[in-house]
Amino acid sequence: MSTDPSNEAATPEPSPEGLDFSTVIASTVHDMKNSLGLLMQAYERWSSALPPELAETAERGMIEYESMRLNGMLVQMLGLYKLGVNQLPMRPNWLEVEDFLQEQLARHDEILRSRHIESSYDVEEDGLMAFLDTELVGSVVGNVINNSIRYARSAIELKAWTEEGQLIIAISDDGQGYPPSMIENQSDYVLGINMSTGSTGLGLYFGQRIAELHQRDGVHGRIELRNDGPLGGGEFRIYLP
Amino acid sequence: MIDYSKKRFLVVDDFSEFRTSVTGMLRLMAVKNVDAAARGEEAIAMCRNTAYDVILHDYNLGAGKNGQQVLEELHHAGLISPHCIFVMCTAESSQAMVMSALECEPDAYLTKPFNRASLQQRLDKLVERKLALKPILDAQAKRDQNAVLAACEQIMASNKRFAPQCLRHKAGALKALGKHAELEALLTGLIADRPMPWALVMLGNHWLERGELDRAEEIFTSAIRQFPMLPALFDGLAAVHAARGATDKAQEYLEQGLRISPNSLQRQHDLGKLAKANGDYDKAIRAFRQAVDLGRHSQFRNPDDHLDLAASLNEQAGDSAPAPKALLEIRQTLGDLGKTWKDDAQLVARANLLHANALAKTGDQTTADKLVAEASTLMADLPTFFSADVALEVATQLKQLGREEQAEAVLSTCAEMYGDDAKVMDAIAGQTSNPRILNAGVQAQTLNREGIQAYQQQAFPQALELFRQARELQPRNISFALNTAQSLLRLLLSEPSAELKAECQQCLAQVSTIPVTDPRHARYEKLCKTVASL
Repeated sequence: MSTDPSNEAATPEPSPEGLDFSTVIASTVHDMKNSLGLLMQAYERWSSALPPELAETAERGMIEYESMRLNGMLVQMLGLYKLGVNQLPMRPNWLEVEDFLQEQLARHDEILRSRHIESSYDVEEDGLMAFLDTELVGSVVGNVINNSIRYARSAIELKAWTEEGQLIIAISDDGQGYPPSMIENQSDYVLGINMSTGSTGLGLYFGQRIAELHQRDGVHGRIELRNDGPLGGGEFRIYLP
Repeated sequence: MIDYSKKRFLVVDDFSEFRTSVTGMLRLMAVKNVDAAARGEEAIAMCRNTAYDVILHDYNLGAGKNGQQVLEELHHAGLISPHCIFVMCTAESSQAMVMSALECEPDAYLTKPFNRASLQQRLDKLVERKLALKPILDAQAKRDQNAVLAACEQIMASNKRFAPQCLRHKAGALKALGKHAELEALLTGLIADRPMPWALVMLGNHWLERGELDRAEEIFTSAIRQFPMLPALFDGLAAVHAARGATDKAQEYLEQGLRISPNSLQRQHDLGKLAKANGDYDKAIRAFRQAVDLGRHSQFRNPDDHLDLAASLNEQAGDSAPAPKALLEIRQTLGDLGKTWKDDAQLVARANLLHANALAKTGDQTTADKLVAEASTLMADLPTFFSADVALEVATQLKQLGREEQAEAVLSTCAEMYGDDAKVMDAIAGQTSNPRILNAGVQAQTLNREGIQAYQQQAFPQALELFRQARELQPRNISFALNTAQSLLRLLLSEPSAELKAECQQCLAQVSTIPVTDPRHARYEKLCKTVASL
């Protein structure tokens, strides 16, 4: 892990007029992400040394949750930057959907437990395989789970099935659901027209762009927001052809 | 539940915080054996002593080797068992993936930060997968490609979730066996279903090797539209254009690949060669400089990069003396070469000639003469003669230094050893019009051609006689010796004879100095093996 992004990234050459601000942001975000990672590791070691009565506090859950959220936002920001300069690498491969869902929940294991949120996953067909970019779709699903944790009362469910040859991954919770205006205007968020809700809107835009990168025979992936989820709350779907 | 208590782990990261935290997670998984290292060099040294079951390696270690380089070196040096699980840990997986070579990928990427649950989930799956693929990996370790194919079919039939890995191993085995039609059918089928990056690259390279340049270009071009960040595709396009002789275009594509992945030693090396051949010395110098730098910590470093850097700096100046700064870099680069490869007489001689050439242009004839004299002493007593390309280059240097006679001597040996290759003779003819060199091999080559005809008609005794005569005329020729040895072996297989066996061994001993880079080296080794098994 280095703090010098030029070691790791194929940074575009600086424009002759001076600083290209988006590049400045991208390399700063990169360092912030590293910094946050170190912070979290130090925190984890420190808190694991605490006696249980001090360790199991509400603040602990807050710190863990917010740092995951922060990390997710930084990843998304880097992703958006790379999309912008056409440098987002796509490396799809075949994988077992069940493994993928397990992996996503495992990343949020501590938070789910400390918040007493029941998490489950369900794959329609045993041994269902899918062709997708694990990193990219994983970062979208991860951000959605993170968001759901915030609104869920007691449960989150991941579900995967196929419809007309498309894989659908749905993340639903038992919260109060998305605001009606958001459901109604989702195409604006998805197209990047309305950014008024800040990170949520940006998250939808990012999710849509990642989904679109997955295509087959002219059909592109997409995302969808719904409120009639199986647990009664909001449901986020990503369609991957 | 997988029992981790007996598995040996190695954690490599430059931050002690991270090493401690991961070690802590592993302890909670009942792991007892955890080693840790801060640098890649350390990790490689530790792998020499311990066969680890799992290696968790950070991608970007700051100074020194990165995770991908370490993985490649471990593979190259045979320090990592195919059963070992190598996980690349990285703050940003996408970048590490771009840098990885398709033929040397880690078993998994794990994005930092991660928690214990993620680590365990991932490791559980990887252990399970390695175990399921064990028959394939075992067969690969024995280089038994047919067994690989059989194992792939068996595993795919019983468990379709491992099919993606099996298909990839299957393709590799088909390629190794030279089953072109089957490989083509497999890859085409896979790609028609889904654009798998590895399959696209493999099919493109397959067309390239078969000389189907248009089909290769089509595959690479359409794949780039979908995967603009996959450097291997640009390498492929560069190779297509280079094969067509469009070296300018080839250079352009290599440069595009390098923009994505600038830290690739091989790619910088290739770019340098192309740019130098194109007369684009600025780019050649930059590429060779990078290659020399990248090679500093790598066992893949190539002394040719030093020589080519110095040669490009020298050639950039044309007939005039290189600028003082360039001259200094030439001296440093060649000095570095001489220190690192001081026991390689060929390299030291070439470096001396090159340096002499640059100095002669500045008017420093005394030093130049001294360097040439040193080179001559070394060349008079070479354990292995130069490869054809290097011999031609050395002859050019000698000629530029006014050593016509020595240049001719080098060309003469080159003609004797490699003269049955028309391309080499053409190149020699470009440097000399001396009929003794150009025609020396004519008679022997006619005999050799007749020998090949006889051999093809299975008239082995006649073939042997003709090859023997060719060899008598040009004893240092590699092809004549190999052909004689092969005919002798033919006869030996039907009727053992101590005398013929001795002659065969003598033929092979005579060409034992064949450069490893020579395309006939594999054939030479095979013949040696066969005769040894008699």
